[in-house]
Amino acid sequence: MSLESQELSELKLKIGRDPTSTELQIVAAEWSEHCSYKSSKKHLKMLPMKGPLVIHEKGYDSGVLDVGNDYVVTAHIESHNHPSAVEPYGGAATGVGGVIRDILSAGTRPIAIFNGLRFGNIEKDQQARWLFKNAVTGIADYGNCLGIPTIGGEVEFDDCYQNYALVDVAAVGFGKKENLIKNHAKIGDLVVLLGGSTGRDGMGGSQFASDSLESEDRSAVQIPDPFIEKLIIEAILEARNHNLINAIKDLGGGGLSCAVSETADALGVGIEMDVNMVHTRESNMHSDEIMISESQERMLIVTNKTKSKKLREICKKFRITCSVIGHIKSGNQMHVKKGKKTLANLPTNVVANATLLDLPSKKPAYLKTIEKEKKFKPISDYSKTMMALLAAPNIASKIWVYGQYDHEVGIRTVVKPGHDASVLRLDNGKFLSVKIDGNPKQCYINPREGAIGCFEEACRNVVCTGAKPIGMLDHLQFGNPKDPEIFWTFLESLKGLTDFANDTKIPCVGGKVSLYNETPTGPIKPTPLIGVLGLIDKNPLIPQKITEGDCLVIVGDTKDEMGGSEYFEYIHNFIGGKCPVVNFTESKKNMKTVLKVIQNQLLKSVHDCSKGGLAVAVSELCMTNQIGCNIFLDKVPGEKLDVVRILFSESHSRYLLVMEKKNLKKVEDMLRKDKVSFKLIGQFNGEKIQFTKGTKSIISLRVDKAHKTWFNSLKDLVLHG
Amino acid sequence: MTTFNVHVTIENKPGISDPEGDTILNDLVLKGTHKTVSKIKTAKMLKFTIKEKDKKIAQSKVQEICAELRIYNPMVSIVTIDVFDA
Repeated sequence: MSLESQELSELKLKIGRDPTSTELQIVAAEWSEHCSYKSSKKHLKMLPMKGPLVIHEKGYDSGVLDVGNDYVVTAHIESHNHPSAVEPYGGAATGVGGVIRDILSAGTRPIAIFNGLRFGNIEKDQQARWLFKNAVTGIADYGNCLGIPTIGGEVEFDDCYQNYALVDVAAVGFGKKENLIKNHAKIGDLVVLLGGSTGRDGMGGSQFASDSLESEDRSAVQIPDPFIEKLIIEAILEARNHNLINAIKDLGGGGLSCAVSETADALGVGIEMDVNMVHTRESNMHSDEIMISESQERMLIVTNKTKSKKLREICKKFRITCSVIGHIKSGNQMHVKKGKKTLANLPTNVVANATLLDLPSKKPAYLKTIEKEKKFKPISDYSKTMMALLAAPNIASKIWVYGQYDHEVGIRTVVKPGHDASVLRLDNGKFLSVKIDGNPKQCYINPREGAIGCFEEACRNVVCTGAKPIGMLDHLQFGNPKDPEIFWTFLESLKGLTDFANDTKIPCVGGKVSLYNETPTGPIKPTPLIGVLGLIDKNPLIPQKITEGDCLVIVGDTKDEMGGSEYFEYIHNFIGGKCPVVNFTESKKNMKTVLKVIQNQLLKSVHDCSKGGLAVAVSELCMTNQIGCNIFLDKVPGEKLDVVRILFSESHSRYLLVMEKKNLKKVEDMLRKDKVSFKLIGQFNGEKIQFTKGTKSIISLRVDKAHKTWFNSLKDLVLHG
Repeated sequence: MTTFNVHVTIENKPGISDPEGDTILNDLVLKGTHKTVSKIKTAKMLKFTIKEKDKKIAQSKVQEICAELRIYNPMVSIVTIDVFDA
């Protein structure tokens, strides 16, 4: 954990002298990849960040969207990959804590948590099971203790995450526009550290996150304390109501070093602070340790002398410690003292702005041949294959995961987890729909199209609830960026996301980059994770029970796009083929039309086709509604394809619309008018999921049996190995 | 072969916070009249009963089990293993 030699000479040049040891520690933390985004920042600017609903303020850690009637929604996404890979329980829990404090620092109350989890092969690998089990428990325990519902997410397993974990957490906040904290500071204002005490836990975590994970010999673990977090939330919101906060910043990676330098830099002021004033857990902590400790549940607040009295009272009421550790001064220096002795005195623009890199990129060699498909033996029994897919960890019901999360606390949850996207009721009569999606299998085969696919899938999911996408969060997770081939995949994904965001006019309201995600067997597959927020003005589509005689219409074409599909990877253990490509025109048209049909209240439920293709999507509808369905594969619109491809291709922009028979004609008329590709492909009845082609039965499964397998297999795998 | 009782105490490493211990100290013990207490640390104890040749083997066997089955995470916790005659 130190600066590279050219960075050290650069620092010397910028400050015109040798840095002190404290200065070195501060700069090493702040110039780490984790805090400075030095490899990615130059390129991230390409994402469109502006939009009619986006509110920008300096120093915000979360994105802010205006949802009307003087209310705002805030959103942020973070990961805690490196800590979770060595201590899944604490790592995942503190990840939740961190993202919640980002929401809080805009002055909004956190109202929902989401998580995206990725682990190695849990069928074979005991370590992966251990990581999975403990990460889920960590998130559940932390979120449940806070009284914030965890309402959605996704879980995926892939060999590329062997001995590793990707734990991504997103949070959404809600509040009055007038209560947003507008960060500002005046000379003489006080700098207050509030919350948990500073200890040796999580020492050097940000630099740890910027190194490849090689050994377990690290001490960057943090212990979660959700009860302090809850008190902090309430104390901050009360302080906000009394207008006591001039500026606020969460202490995350890089601890005090980053919080102080970034606050000063964002507000254009200097800060003088004394490490002796920081409340510590142990008495013998070194000043450098105090500056870079990443102890959890801490906030930095700028307030003035008069307000600080009331702030202290609030802290006392909630029994959380707060200490005045310094004050705002003119200039732009970050002046760290220990009593009278100066430990560090650096210009904040130097500390907070590492020199951005322009890393070389090169198209990976493996991509040359990846699209070539292997020939497989024809399948003799599709029903058997289908049952195997329904039991596959990536497809099986995730009830074991979200069943541990309190997803109803706060009584806002209108559409609960287990559907396409979850929906929250807002105080202004509107509804917010949110989903996060990723797909490393497709992103590996085609980083650009794969990333766009994740984005479109998240959009599709919120559209299924009747919501119009209004903002996007991106979380870009890749291996070591110094490898030009990996950096190329990063750039391609980013360009893809930018193009789709520009085309659909969905602004990026927040994001995160996590690099150096390497396992002992090599880099992870490119894993961009996209969160989409959608707004529903009036009526969310709450899925209604499907009954005998209901019709099933598919919107969108099924194409020959098997690359990265669960069918190829899980059934045939084959990585390759052509990755699904989003056709922008088709995508927008389908989204718009489906939304229109939903708004006309003609549908019982809408489900998107994604993992496992059409076959899995239809089966999910049947299983969750305990009803059979006859599907005619000849009717599925799109290219002329063989049975396997119609069933399992994971082409985008496809929606399954379920409606009562009496509404069929109206729906068809609307779809026809908008010229989208659609077909009536089946009808619900009986107790069997039945796919036929011509007169030939291809798949025939009893719903109850399929349901039992799909519903229980993940739980059985985790609990009984 | 002799029967031994082996006590495995699992606690957070020194320097890592212990919210449970702190809460018991601050919100229970110090709320009363027991002002002489300055620290409380929580720990989990597993009591094994094991048949081995001698004390040393009993201890190393239990140590091995704890490491292999991930009964504690060495990143967070330390263990103390005490062996007693049954």
